[in-house]
Amino acid sequence: MKVELENLTKRWGKFVGADGINLAIGDGEFVAFLGPSGCGKTTTLLMVAGIYKPSEGTIRFDGKVVNTVSPKDRNIGMVFQSYALYPHMTVYQNISYPLKLRKMPKRERRERAQDVADMMGIGDLMDRKPAMLSGGQQQRVALGRSLVKEPQLLLFDEPLSNLDARLRLSMRGEIKRLQMELGITSIYVTHDQVEAMTMADRIAVMKDGKLEAYAKPDELYDRPRTLFVAGFVGNPPMNFLKVEVTREDGEYRARAEGIDLLVPAERGEKAVIKGEVIMGIRPEDVSIADGGTQGEIYVVEPLGRDDLVDVRIGDIEIHVLANPTLGTKMGERTSLKFDTKEVQFFDPETEQSLIWN
Amino acid sequence: MTVRQRLWRGVPYLILVLSVLPIIVGYFWLVLSSFMTRTEGLLPVGNLTLKHWSFLLEPPFGRGYPSIWRVTLNTFLIAAFMTIVVVLVSALTGYALSRLNFPGRKGFLSLTLILHAFPSVTLLIGTFFVLRALNLYNTSLGVGLVMVGFEMPFGIWLMKGFFDGVSWDMERAALIDGASRLQVWWQVILPTIKPGIAALAIFAFISGWNAWLIPKTFTIGAGQQATLSVYLQNFQGETVAVDWGSVTAVGLFQLIPVAIFFIFTQDLLLNIYSGGAKGGA
Amino acid sequence: MSVSNRRERGGVPSLSLREPFEQPSSIGAWLHSRRAAWAFMSPAVLLITLFFFIPVIVLLVLSLSDLKSANFGTFQWWLPTNWSLDNYSKIIGDRFISKFLGNTLFYVLTTLAIFNFGSALLIALITTHINRRAGFFFRLLWLLPRLTPSVVYILMWRRIAARAPHGILNQFLTLAGLGGGDNLLQTMPWVFVIIVNGLIGASFGLVIFTSAIEAIPRDYLTASKVDGASTLQTIRHVIVPMIRWPILFVLTFQTLSLLTSFEQILLLTGGGPGLFRTEVWALRAYHLALSTESGNTQWGYGAAWAVILVIIGVAAATIYMRVFKFDELVEEPKIDLI
Repeated sequence: MKVELENLTKRWGKFVGADGINLAIGDGEFVAFLGPSGCGKTTTLLMVAGIYKPSEGTIRFDGKVVNTVSPKDRNIGMVFQSYALYPHMTVYQNISYPLKLRKMPKRERRERAQDVADMMGIGDLMDRKPAMLSGGQQQRVALGRSLVKEPQLLLFDEPLSNLDARLRLSMRGEIKRLQMELGITSIYVTHDQVEAMTMADRIAVMKDGKLEAYAKPDELYDRPRTLFVAGFVGNPPMNFLKVEVTREDGEYRARAEGIDLLVPAERGEKAVIKGEVIMGIRPEDVSIADGGTQGEIYVVEPLGRDDLVDVRIGDIEIHVLANPTLGTKMGERTSLKFDTKEVQFFDPETEQSLIWN
Repeated sequence: MTVRQRLWRGVPYLILVLSVLPIIVGYFWLVLSSFMTRTEGLLPVGNLTLKHWSFLLEPPFGRGYPSIWRVTLNTFLIAAFMTIVVVLVSALTGYALSRLNFPGRKGFLSLTLILHAFPSVTLLIGTFFVLRALNLYNTSLGVGLVMVGFEMPFGIWLMKGFFDGVSWDMERAALIDGASRLQVWWQVILPTIKPGIAALAIFAFISGWNAWLIPKTFTIGAGQQATLSVYLQNFQGETVAVDWGSVTAVGLFQLIPVAIFFIFTQDLLLNIYSGGAKGGA
Repeated sequence: MSVSNRRERGGVPSLSLREPFEQPSSIGAWLHSRRAAWAFMSPAVLLITLFFFIPVIVLLVLSLSDLKSANFGTFQWWLPTNWSLDNYSKIIGDRFISKFLGNTLFYVLTTLAIFNFGSALLIALITTHINRRAGFFFRLLWLLPRLTPSVVYILMWRRIAARAPHGILNQFLTLAGLGGGDNLLQTMPWVFVIIVNGLIGASFGLVIFTSAIEAIPRDYLTASKVDGASTLQTIRHVIVPMIRWPILFVLTFQTLSLLTSFEQILLLTGGGPGLFRTEVWALRAYHLALSTESGNTQWGYGAAWAVILVIIGVAAATIYMRVFKFDELVEEPKIDLI
């Protein structure tokens, strides 16, 4: 099923929860709404679900306006962060509740619920109450309940946030596989950019109720259109520094105190017109190597495979991923090499990309 | 620890024991008197006897007094009616006020709050005329309805609090699963606030069972409309030489359900009365 | 999208898919769209109308009329032509007005100070500073007067106060060589009125104070101990200041409750002994309008006495709600269907 949001807005008095959201989701597509808490992603999701009435704008399912259709008639399934299982019902009763409400005969209900439970790997827990299940099992029940009525749209509201890290990883894969196999159009709300990047076909980045960007994961990563998107997507986050870009002898150079870098011409020429601009460079594009920019190691955070090294060049703070075997130590002088192939430039006032707009 | 310190540690307990002494003595006498020929102060006079409890078998006070069982049934029906209606209506209203978006919601909530603090006994005179107009004066239904009405603001406020604590996601999930608001209320939310319902039900039952002022005011005489409280009070007032033994036995009899709640739902009681107690006397 | 599911809706027009924003076009549609709210609210609305609104109006109207048992059935009290403020001037001119006012003030202030506030705070402090189980046990016992049917409760007290040789208190007084053995309800009625009401009323403050004290973070008390404060100093300088809102709440709430309560007095002394010895304002209103014993029921005049309490009650309740900001507890619903 296709979903289209047009100028979708939600206000409570003066407070604006979602502000003029426009986006289209194709049939079978997996879209993530990504943003920090309070950015309006859940509000938008709940409008799609029919729980919130839009203050303005239109929601279309397969071309038909569904603004005033009640949630039960939208044929959607939803999975919540808190699982939202009915504590007084058994797993079977939880999963089959949507079918019971549709007045499906008991035998059919039993079969369908069992099928879904088997698919989720909880087929043998049918008589337990939610309180007797682990977090992962509860999430499977919630998923089963959302799938049992064979919805045409699946909504996920931070479904993995309450799980521990390892379980989150495996559930991530499972949800992705399930969605691909069933081919159900899905919207997945998360504040975790790793989840969004790994699972979604397209990501809608939101901030302060507005849609900041809507693009494929690699595009968001490589060609961020706003400062916010550049900073939010990618882990560890992109380094930002104020530089001045000048053209000298046909070469483009980005300069700040203690820094002087050669930048690719096709990127540099877009930033040269302005005075001071914000340059963005990802930690993975900076390395510790001799003969580069001089700086001092401020702090070293071992991440296991890499060390995240915070290097200070004057007042400028640069995060670098370094090989632990280098044995970097706090307080030592060091030298940084910048790979400026993927460097980004942003207007400091509008925070828009100077390269991609 | 010195002797002096030990004595000081005993002081709080001494104060506590003294403070509950009257009610303990009262209960002690109640039990004693109902099983003894008679009492003088706290001293029994005569023998251990069950004759004061003969009211269980035959109407004890004669002269037109109905059988204790009839009065008990009547009291029970009034209390049960009150419990069911208070719980049901409070649960409906509390849900709407906590969960539904409708014009007038805020106004009604403030009204409920004001009525909760407002002493309803001051309205008895006006209520008397309402009951007469409805032809419910001197009926059990009338008595029950007045008590339900007066209990309403507290019940609504209590239930609203319980509904406020229920997860919004659960309700959203049920709506998406295809339930109507009524189904959500009945099938999903009510089962999850059973402790709250139990608390309100106990509170309503005890106040219905114990009620004296309202049944006395809105019924006449010692007829079948009377509750146990009215029955007991009338008997004390009308007989010249009070048969204390039988009176105490009936009093103890009336205390049975209260005692059961007191013994088995202690935590709940202390909780209910923190929100519910509003009478100053 | 299974738009086909819409048939379950039974063809409700406002839910058609054609228009994105259908505003309710008529009152009927408006009502319809709010039918869920109406279904949930109407029983309570009915009950509150019947037992709060109408009685208040009836009371006001009655207080302006001269309805009494002598003219009941013939006197048209609801007609504005029969209204006047005579009842109110009659109250002011009542021979015993100062007696009733004095009784009421004495009763409210004394009971509040000694029991509903004083004992409540004292017992709450003690039971939160001793062994937990013991504290719980004593608080539970303090609940007994409130849980006991008032008729049975008063029965106990009448026996406690009765004359010798039946009276329990007199038995001890005689043993100690102290009393004349008269019925104590006759000789010292106020003592009993206050104790009897106070023991019931104190449990309200007790329970509220207890939960407030238990909600104080342990760290504060530990810090106070570490600083070398004694228990009494801790209570005075840490606990009491931290529960000042509950204290204010109990004081105001109980003042209103005591002002309008009369059930126990009615049962215990009936306002006596003698002429109005323990008759308080609320009891006076009840005696005038609803007591069947006198045979001369004055609904109109009694209503005027009650109206004054109603006005105080409404005003006080409104002020509490403002002061204690209860309306801030009201949260917006997080689902906006219907």
